[in-house]
Order: sequence, then structure tokens, then C-alpha cells
Amino acid sequence: MILGDFGTSYCKFLDLANPEAEPTIIATNELPRETRVDLATGHNGKRFATRYVNELIALAKGGETMIEKKDYVLLDCGSRDIKFIKYQNGKLADMGWNAECGASMGFTIELLKRYYELDYTGLQVPGQTFYVTCGVLGMSDIFDAVISGVPVTEAVARFVKGIAINAYRFAGSPARLYLSGGLCDNPLFVGSFPCQVTPLGRFVLLRGLEAEARQTRPQAVC
Amino acid sequence: MAFEPAPLAATLNRCQKIGIIGIPPLAVIRTANEHSLVIHDLDEPLVHEDLETASPFLPRVYCAILRTAVVNALHLELDAIYVDTGPGKCDCALHTATILAEALPIPVICAKNMDASAYGNPLCQAKLSLLTRMIAITAGVKSAALYHDQPPPSAPTAGFWGVPPRDFSILELFPETTHIYGWARCMENKTPADHELEAQFNPEVPTVFFAQSFCAKTALARYLARKHPHALYLDVDVHTTNSARAKVQAFLELSGVKP
Ligand code: SF4
Repeated sequence: MILGDFGTSYCKFLDLANPEAEPTIIATNELPRETRVDLATGHNGKRFATRYVNELIALAKGGETMIEKKDYVLLDCGSRDIKFIKYQNGKLADMGWNAECGASMGFTIELLKRYYELDYTGLQVPGQTFYVTCGVLGMSDIFDAVISGVPVTEAVARFVKGIAINAYRFAGSPARLYLSGGLCDNPLFVGSFPCQVTPLGRFVLLRGLEAEARQTRPQAVC
Repeated sequence: MAFEPAPLAATLNRCQKIGIIGIPPLAVIRTANEHSLVIHDLDEPLVHEDLETASPFLPRVYCAILRTAVVNALHLELDAIYVDTGPGKCDCALHTATILAEALPIPVICAKNMDASAYGNPLCQAKLSLLTRMIAITAGVKSAALYHDQPPPSAPTAGFWGVPPRDFSILELFPETTHIYGWARCMENKTPADHELEAQFNPEVPTVFFAQSFCAKTALARYLARKHPHALYLDVDVHTTNSARAKVQAFLELSGVKP
């Protein structure tokens, strides 16, 4: 059984028939049109699968399998949206999905990296931050700062920190949060949260799909 | 304060088709029923016209139900419009009435609905598709008749609190055993200004607290959602977005509510 998480920028796959196999990843713009999977999530997923699980459910189930706590907040920062799940006493207590305003933040971080040819691993978490609620609107803060003499690296770092703080507030300002998504690999972003962060990587939704597949798979009759 | 019946009969005598915004007093509906008038509930999408045609009259960032009402009022040939501008509706409707009164060549009559005799909530508690029940509840505003066929109440497994949404498609996500609370319950009860009834909820069942974006009821919905032990607060504007739909689906599924 092939599982697929079809994101805006990247698609992730896992083949359950091969227990040794690691998840694979491919840029969405390089995805063959004829791709088919058995179970999908992600905003592009419905086009490629017979069965679809919505992203919040995949995130929650991924969290249930990867986090061994009863109380936690799991935040997923994608290219075009942010979403979170909060569990208390092992039960769903709150959730949110911001795809309208607050959108395109992850996408903008990637865009800026390419445009300014930046390496985020070399950037320090800045003292100052921009107040960012949307990736697109936040970019004008960067341009204004650069025009006023702030170095590009500092301006972009303030923007990234602003995004992290906005996402943190969106998730209810927890003392600790678990982070999901490609931005887990961005040390500037992870370090910009004003709380303790445990990065879980970019395959949390895929793990959620795996849990869903195992839960609903027909039992073998002996 | 009772609605003045004498000018009401005189006005409605000259009408064949009237529009209503909110729930005008029962006296209006009863008289309109007696005169066999066609009543259009302008809060619902009735004409295939772009919501943008309301923009010369109302800001784009405004309650989608009232923007819809303006589009309907502009495109339906009506003889009069009755608007509830009492505590059962909102200031947004009052201002909309003022604007329509100037824009249209027909009487736009503000009528404060203070009706307090309860008709009951058979549909809010029945076991039937939530969409079907909400359609019946909203259609009910056009009739002053008592509810005779009362379906048996069901044991609730989920709750929907709020106004009938601009886009009913979100209601398809709920199970048949969803009980209805909030202003939609006041609507069925024909007591739209009963704020006590509006604030009721069932803490035993997972409940979605819904409000239209840009409506003052967003504050009440969020406030009550925080008091409820297992709630999702949701506001939606013109159409149910994919993320709103996914939130409801995930909330119900992860709360163990069976479809
Ligand atoms: S949804 Fe709110 S703002 Fe809109 S008409 Fe109803 S009460 Fe007024």
C-alpha cells in the first residue's frame, strides 16, 4: 500500500509493502501526472488517490503515534498554511488551521532563500522581529528594512522570527510545542520560537496516514 | 412591545410579494399568511447574482448574510421589505435597512421582534439530516402556524450552535443525531430575541460553535466554545472553505462522533 502526502512544495511517499523502506520525497512541480497512491493527504492529495484523509486528521494521528505524552501541542508549518492540534489527557482539546490569512509563510521563507541566495544554517536568531501575519505582506517589511540600511540577512532573520512567533501565538502560545513540516530543518526558524520546540520532521502526516492505514486495513482470516 | 397591526394590514393589503430580513414579528407573518402573500426570506441566497452587486451599498467586509439580503432585495421584484431590527437581529441589519430604504422605491419597514411565546424545538432535537432540518427551520420563518407534526427527539451525539450559515454545505458533515443550539434554536422557537435560549448548549456532546465572519455573534460563539468542555469555534464568510470543512471533519472524527 502506497501512502502519499501531497504538499504545495513537496510530496512525500511511503510504501507499506516494504517495511525496510524509508519515506521518499519529490518536489511537487516534478511529480509525474500519472502518480497514483492508495491513501493520500495534503491539499493536492485528492487528485492522486482513491482514498483521502484530511490533513488535520493525518496530523493528529501522526502526533498520536510519534508523541508519547497525553498533553501536547503539535504545530505543522507547511508552505501555504499552518495548523495545530492540542491534546489534553490524551484527548483532542483544540485545533486550528490557518490557510487564508497567515498563509504562504513557509513558501515565502523558501522564496527568500533562493532570491537572496541565503543559507539559513548560518543565520543567527535576531533580537528584533517583524510583526508578520502573512508571508506575502511580511515581505514588504524586509524590503523596507533593507532600503533603510538593515543587512539582508538581518532583515530576513527578523521576518523568519516574526513568522515563528505568529505560528506560536496561533497554536495558543504553549510552553512547549512539537513541530512538524519541512521547516524543522531550518535552525533559524526552530530557534526563533519563544518556547521549547521538539522538531518531528517532515513525515508526521505520512506517519498519520500509516496509522490510519493500519487501523482500517482488513484483518487477515486464518 | 407589540407590533402595530393597523398600518401593517394597510401596508400588506397593497402587497403581493414581500421580503423579510431576520425574523419579523409574528403579527407580520400572520397577516402576510392571511393575505396569502408570497414571502421571500432575503437572508438566503435566492438569485443567481454576484455578491459583488451588494458592494455599492455595503462594505465587502460585512456579514455575508446581509450582503446576500441586499443582492436579493435589488433583484427580486418586491412590494415591501420587513426587517427585524430588534434585539433578535443586529445593528448590521438596522444599517442595512436604512441603506435599502433609500436605495429602493418600496417601503422598507423596521419591525422590532419581541415575540416571547415559545413554539418549541422539535426539529432541533430530531434525528434527521442536519441540512434537511436547517432548511425546514429557515423555511419556517415564512409561516405563523404551530408545529403539528413533531418528530420524536433523538439522543444527541454532537451539537451545532449558531445561526443558519450562509453556506449550508457545512451542515452535511454532521451526523443525523446532531442537536441544534444557538440562534437557529431561537428561530425554530419563534423567539429570536431570547438571548438566554441562544446561550444554551449541551456540555455532554462535542459541539461546533459557528458564527458568520464579521458578525457580533463571533464573540458569543467563541466565549461559549471556551466554556464548553469539548468545542470547536468556527467562523465562515461566504463559502465554506476547505480548511473550515476539514476542521469540522477532524473535530467530529477525533472526538469519536460516529458519522
Ligand atoms: S449573522 Fe450576525 S451580522 Fe449577519 S445578519 Fe445574522 S446577526 Fe446580523
